[in-house]
Amino acid sequence: MSKGALLFAFNSPKFNYYTMAVATAKRINHFLNLPVTIVTDNASLPTHNSYTFDNVIITEADKTNTRDWGLWYNKGRYRAFELSPYDETLLLDTDYMVNSNKLLTTFELPTDFCCHNKTSFLMHPNLPQEVLSIHSFDTLWATVINFKKTIRAKNIFDCLEMTQNNFQHYGNIHGFVSVTYRNDYGLTLATRMANGHTTAIEDYIPWNLLHVGNNTKVHRNNDDEFNTEYTVMFDHWNRGKIRKEYITVKDTDFHMMMKDNFMELISE
Amino acid sequence: MDTKTLINEAKARFNHNSAKAYLKDKHDSKFIVADQGGLWRANIETINFLSYSTDEHVILIDNFDNPVKVERTSLLTKLSDIYRNVMEEWHNEWINLENKR
Repeated sequence: MSKGALLFAFNSPKFNYYTMAVATAKRINHFLNLPVTIVTDNASLPTHNSYTFDNVIITEADKTNTRDWGLWYNKGRYRAFELSPYDETLLLDTDYMVNSNKLLTTFELPTDFCCHNKTSFLMHPNLPQEVLSIHSFDTLWATVINFKKTIRAKNIFDCLEMTQNNFQHYGNIHGFVSVTYRNDYGLTLATRMANGHTTAIEDYIPWNLLHVGNNTKVHRNNDDEFNTEYTVMFDHWNRGKIRKEYITVKDTDFHMMMKDNFMELISE
Repeated sequence: MDTKTLINEAKARFNHNSAKAYLKDKHDSKFIVADQGGLWRANIETINFLSYSTDEHVILIDNFDNPVKVERTSLLTKLSDIYRNVMEEWHNEWINLENKR
């Protein structure tokens, strides 16, 4: 059974996702000892290659999505099932900072598909879980997905394609804003559909996805390429004033929501 | 600028509660282990049950709510090792955290 990681990276006018993918791939190689395949488009390929992926799959980016900060080429994630060259695939967002071998446990879970259903935010320990809307479900997260090439996993990705193609319709039903397509929301609905409109506890990675969110900035504690120690600074707003707070984290994976900060962390 | 200078210049305060929550998150996940066809959490309850039972095989409900027949001593050894190692690591980091007060 072959195992590997899959990254989707389509450069937008604002962010170089290919560069992010290279940094993440190096950390996957180092900490997880897994080969990495990238799905990208010709426009994102660099003129000078600094890293050799296990496979480079060129496809056409769907450029029809936007969010508050600009164009966001996140569609087409459902193709992971068809494009992955591996029997068991770890599908990661390119802005996921691998700092440990923890994700290897996802290959050992007795299931053919899993993703996160619970999150924590560094510096925001008591934030509630995100929901599609107050009338709908808790959100699942497409940041980390592990899947095997089974019929059930294929059904989930087929349903993800359907939710992407009919996102406005599902937004109307579930009461969420559908102007921006989100894989998290699509996945939430897709897994339910594939499970007969119910939930399967086996679909959930049994620990929290750790986010770094707003007003939070991560700094490397040293310049080693595979540094795993960081200082996390937080702007605590109180009565119109900012009080800086910090913690240090070590050997812990986290998902960077602030892409600018991620680019700073991976810059040499 | 190194992070110590950054902290000093920003007059940043160490957030003990966030650090404590982070440590719990970090180590909670390390108690999880897949073994003998089930998914387990190395917690005191499971370890105690496995310790007090005398049968060679026992049936336990795993984290996915499935009944799984396991070889008792093998699972006990595995969960005990994980529990001891993770608690040791957590405790060491907790001591470091307390020293920052």
